Amino acid sequence: MLAVRDGELDALGELFERHHGPLFGFLVKLTGDRTAAEDLTQTVFQRMLKYRHTYRDDGSFTAWMYHLARRCAADHFRRTNAAPHPTDPAALSERADEAPHAATQATVHDDHALLQTALARLDHGDREILLLSRFQELSFAEIAVILDCSVGAAKVRAHRAVRELRDLYFQLQKQTPA
Amino acid sequence: MNSLSCERVRESFPELLDPRTPAAALGEVREHLANCPACQREFAMLHRTLETLDGLPIGAPSPALRRDFYAMLEEEKHSATSARANAERDFRNRSRRIWRWVLAPAAAAALLLGGFLAGTRYSPAPAPAPIASDETARELRQLKNKVDRLDAMNQLVASALRDEQTQPASERLAGVMTSASVANPGNRVVDELITSLALDPSANVRLRALEALYPLAGRDAVRAGVLASLPRETNPLVQVAMIDFLAAARDREAKPALERMSVNALADQDVRAAAKRALAQL
Repeated sequence: MLAVRDGELDALGELFERHHGPLFGFLVKLTGDRTAAEDLTQTVFQRMLKYRHTYRDDGSFTAWMYHLARRCAADHFRRTNAAPHPTDPAALSERADEAPHAATQATVHDDHALLQTALARLDHGDREILLLSRFQELSFAEIAVILDCSVGAAKVRAHRAVRELRDLYFQLQKQTPA
Repeated sequence: MNSLSCERVRESFPELLDPRTPAAALGEVREHLANCPACQREFAMLHRTLETLDGLPIGAPSPALRRDFYAMLEEEKHSATSARANAERDFRNRSRRIWRWVLAPAAAAALLLGGFLAGTRYSPAPAPAPIASDETARELRQLKNKVDRLDAMNQLVASALRDEQTQPASERLAGVMTSASVANPGNRVVDELITSLALDPSANVRLRALEALYPLAGRDAVRAGVLASLPRETNPLVQVAMIDFLAAARDREAKPALERMSVNALADQDVRAAAKRALAQL
């Protein structure tokens, strides 16, 4: 990113190739909307270009990228004024896993749909920290910088979010007929 | 069961559930967990929740994302601010090159000349033949040593410069060939090949990357990657190869770009011909 800041814009291509997949994954889970996630991924890279002069070499690039992503998502939610929509189970079947046994696949499919619904019902802040904390690329120290809180507070919030998601997920499982 | 309370153990669950935590860490917590059914239930539920979350199918973004990104990058590169920054950077690079290729040899020559002048100016006054010849012989040896050292240093610098210019490209080429030899390449390998095609400064590396992408032409992301790289390409050889690739892949999305190229008076004649040929195939 330092090269991009210094005017070598082609270097952003390398960053795009390396990071757009995980970033897109984060935004899909955060918004529950693939189209919005694609638009937001594009917007994040647009902002990197626009604000490249403000990039400082005092933290990781990944943390800076997720900081921008978080801002973009917040703008998106303000604009649409809506929580993420639970994924349509029919859409999930198009991207099913490795297609094992049909019954297993159906169960996995249901689990994914239920979890996506639970995720969408989670408070926005909880959803955000939970997803950030599941990214192997980010340490809790970096998450704390992104969220502007202490490392301890980030860990506590992440754990609270996991418990909240678990409660919602198992509640939904109980409500769903076997 | 050890002395840790269930509450304390559950406080450590975030670390335990974090895949980055080493397997050997949190020994006491793990020991408690092995013997406490209540904590096991709690842990299993959290574990299953996170496992399902991590396993949510995401899939790759549509090829339009990559295409739009490179279009945006091109636009930014041609914007007024970037053009100015590019000009400044080129000037800096040129200055650096001048330093390397002109000033460095000039400095070496000056050093040699200095050594020679010092050798002649401060040589002892003429004296009896045997003494003078000893002194002169010693100074000549010293001067020869200096010249030899300087020569060796110059060779070292030249070799380093040669390495800087050739070795990285050959290494990159080897990298592309390794990627190409993967039997059933995943997204990462495909991304690496497309990155090489789009960004590598060596036309040979770009051509090799394109060649490696041929068996994968059925993938949307691959065709979109080649299409996005086409407007950035400046080498006519690679441009023609890319156009042939898109024609062979029957990529109808390439039509508008090919139409523009076929009538672009600034494009190379072979490139225009290839674009026309491809359009006929599509």
